[in-house]
Amino acid sequence: MAIIEIENLKKSYRVYQKKEGILASLGGLFKREYREIHAVAGIDLQVEQGEFVAFLGPNGAGKTTTLKLLSGVINPSSGSAKVMGFTPWRRENAYRRKFALVMGQKNQLWWDLPANESFRLHQHIYGVDPTEFKRTQDEITELLNVQHLLGQPVRELSLGERMKMELIAALLHRPEVLFLDEPTIGLDVVAQHNIQQFLKHYQQERKITILLTSHYMKDVAALCKRVVIIADGLIQYDGSLEGIVDRFSSDKIITLQLAETESFDDFQNLDDVIEIEPPKVKFRVQRDDVPKLLSRILASRNVEDIIVEDPPLEDVIASAFSQVEQNRSDADSLHAEAVS
Amino acid sequence: MQPSYLKVFLTFARNSLVRDMSFRANFIFTCISSMAWAGMNFGLFKVVYQFTNSIGRDSGWGENEFFIFLGTVWLINSLIQTFCMANMERFSEMIRMGSLDFALLKPIDTQFLISFPRMNWAQLPNGMLGILLIIVSLNALAAERGDNLYLSIWNVLAFVFFIACGLCVMYSVMITLASTSIWLGRNQQLYNFWFYITNFYRYPMEIYQSGTIGWTLWGTFTFVIPILVVSNVPARVLAQPLGTPWQRWEWGFASLAVIFAIVSLLVSRFVFRSALKSYRSASS
Repeated sequence: MAIIEIENLKKSYRVYQKKEGILASLGGLFKREYREIHAVAGIDLQVEQGEFVAFLGPNGAGKTTTLKLLSGVINPSSGSAKVMGFTPWRRENAYRRKFALVMGQKNQLWWDLPANESFRLHQHIYGVDPTEFKRTQDEITELLNVQHLLGQPVRELSLGERMKMELIAALLHRPEVLFLDEPTIGLDVVAQHNIQQFLKHYQQERKITILLTSHYMKDVAALCKRVVIIADGLIQYDGSLEGIVDRFSSDKIITLQLAETESFDDFQNLDDVIEIEPPKVKFRVQRDDVPKLLSRILASRNVEDIIVEDPPLEDVIASAFSQVEQNRSDADSLHAEAVS
Repeated sequence: MQPSYLKVFLTFARNSLVRDMSFRANFIFTCISSMAWAGMNFGLFKVVYQFTNSIGRDSGWGENEFFIFLGTVWLINSLIQTFCMANMERFSEMIRMGSLDFALLKPIDTQFLISFPRMNWAQLPNGMLGILLIIVSLNALAAERGDNLYLSIWNVLAFVFFIACGLCVMYSVMITLASTSIWLGRNQQLYNFWFYITNFYRYPMEIYQSGTIGWTLWGTFTFVIPILVVSNVPARVLAQPLGTPWQRWEWGFASLAVIFAIVSLLVSRFVFRSALKSYRSASS
C-alpha cells in the first residue's frame, strides 16, 4: 500500500482584488471584488514508502499548497489524501508525531536563543525519551557538522547554518515522512551541497519517505529518481528526471567542431543555428532531422568533432513551464471574452 | 511518547527568561518603567484620598480598602501581561505571516502552544508590588479596625481561587479577540482593547452604580464582558468593605465569578477552534 495517497485534491482561495489608488481603496471598504484562485486544481498522486520525490513547478504552481495540505496546516476544498493512513487535516497527534515539515523561507527556531534550547523544547513537545533524544541530536549534528554552533543564538548563524538547525529540529522525533519546501533556497553552492549530501545519506539510511520542492535542478538531480511537475495546480508530468526531456522537448543540440580552414559566415543565415563560436557551431533541430542535417554538413564541410545531446534540463523545464503559462493565459482570455 | 504539558510550560518559562536576560538593559528598563507607572498610580490615589475618606458615598471603600483593591488589580494585570499579552499579540501576527503553520504541526494542543511560549518576565515585578501593597494595606486595615484576625486562611485561599477565576476570564477575552484575526486578516486592536477594559476594571463596581450611564457601564462590564467581576470579587474577599450593598449579593457575585470563568474558557475554546478551521496560511 502506498504511504501517501492523494485523490482529486483541490484547494481554492478567494482573493480580494485591490484596485490601485486611494478612491478605489475607499470603495473597497464597501464593495469588494474577489477572484477565485485554484491553487491546487485536482491532484492524484501515490507515493510508496522510501521514495524521494521532487515537486517541480513555477512559482504559484501549487507545490507549497500541496505540502501544506499534506501537513494538515490547511483544509482542502475537496478531494482526499491519506498519509500513513491518516487524513492530514484532522491533525491527530498520532499523525503529527510521525512527520515533519521544513520550510526554507520560514523558521521555527527561537530567534534569540541558541538552537539547542529550541531542540529541548521539541523534545518535550514530542515527548522524546531523553537518551534517545541525545543520541539523535548528536548523530545528526555530527552529520551536518554543526556541533560547535549549538550554543550560539540562532540570529547570529549564517543562513546555511540556520537551515541545518531547522533540519535538525525537524528530525529530532525521527519522522517517517518528511516534507521539504525549498530547503536550499538562498544558500551558497557549498551549503547546498552539504544539505544535499546529508539528505541523501539520511534518506538511504532511514528509508524514510521525502517530498521535496526546489527550484534548484542540482537538488533534484542529486536526490530524486522521481519527479512530479506541477503547474497551474495540476500534475503535468510524473516520471524520471531524464523522461522530462522526452516528454517536453523533441529537440537535440548538435555541436560541430570544424577545421580551422572552414569559413563560418554562411552559418549565420541558417535558422537552426543557435550559437557560433569558431571553431564550434551549435544547432538545435528536431530529433528526426538530425541525420539529414549531419549528412548535409558532413558532405560539404571538413568536420573534426560532433556532439549530439539533449537540450539542458533547465531549458526544457523552463519551456515546459512557459508552455503551461501560455495555455492558461489563452484560456483566461477566452474566458474573459466569453464573459464580456 | 505523550508530551508533558508541565515540562513544555516550564521550558517556555525558562527560554523566555534566558531570552529576556540576554537583553539585560531592555529588561531592566521595562521593569523600571512599569514600576514607575505603578508608583504614579499609587501617588494619584494618595492625592485623591487627601480630599475624601471614601470613593463613592457610603461605598465602604476607604483608603486602605481601596489600596487592597488596587494591589489586586496590579497583580492580575501583571500576571496577564507576563504570561499572555505578548503571546496574544504574536498569535495575531503569526496568522498574518503564516507562521502559525509550525504550531499546527506539533503533536500538542495548539491553543496551549500559542498561549504561553513567550513570557514577559519584566512585567512580573509589578505583581510583586501589588502583593506588597495588599499586605501593607491589610495590616493598616487590621490596625484601623482594631481586629488583627478578621481574615482567616480561608480568605487567603478564596482570594487565590478568585484571582485564578479572574485570570481565566481575562485570558479568554484576549484569546477570543486574538482569534478573530483569522477572519479579519489582521487585528491590531489587542493592546487598545486591553487598555480600554483595564481602564474600567480598576475601580470598585460601586462607582458605576448611579445614573443611567453608570448603570449601563456596570451592566455591560458585569454581565457582557465580565471584567468588573474579575477584579471586584477577589479584592472584596480581602478588603471586605463594610456596610455596602454588595454584602447582600456576596454569594451571588462569587458564584458569578466561577460561572464566568468556566463559560468564558469554553467560549474562547470554541472560538479558537472555529477560527483555526478558517486559517489559510500565507504564501511561502
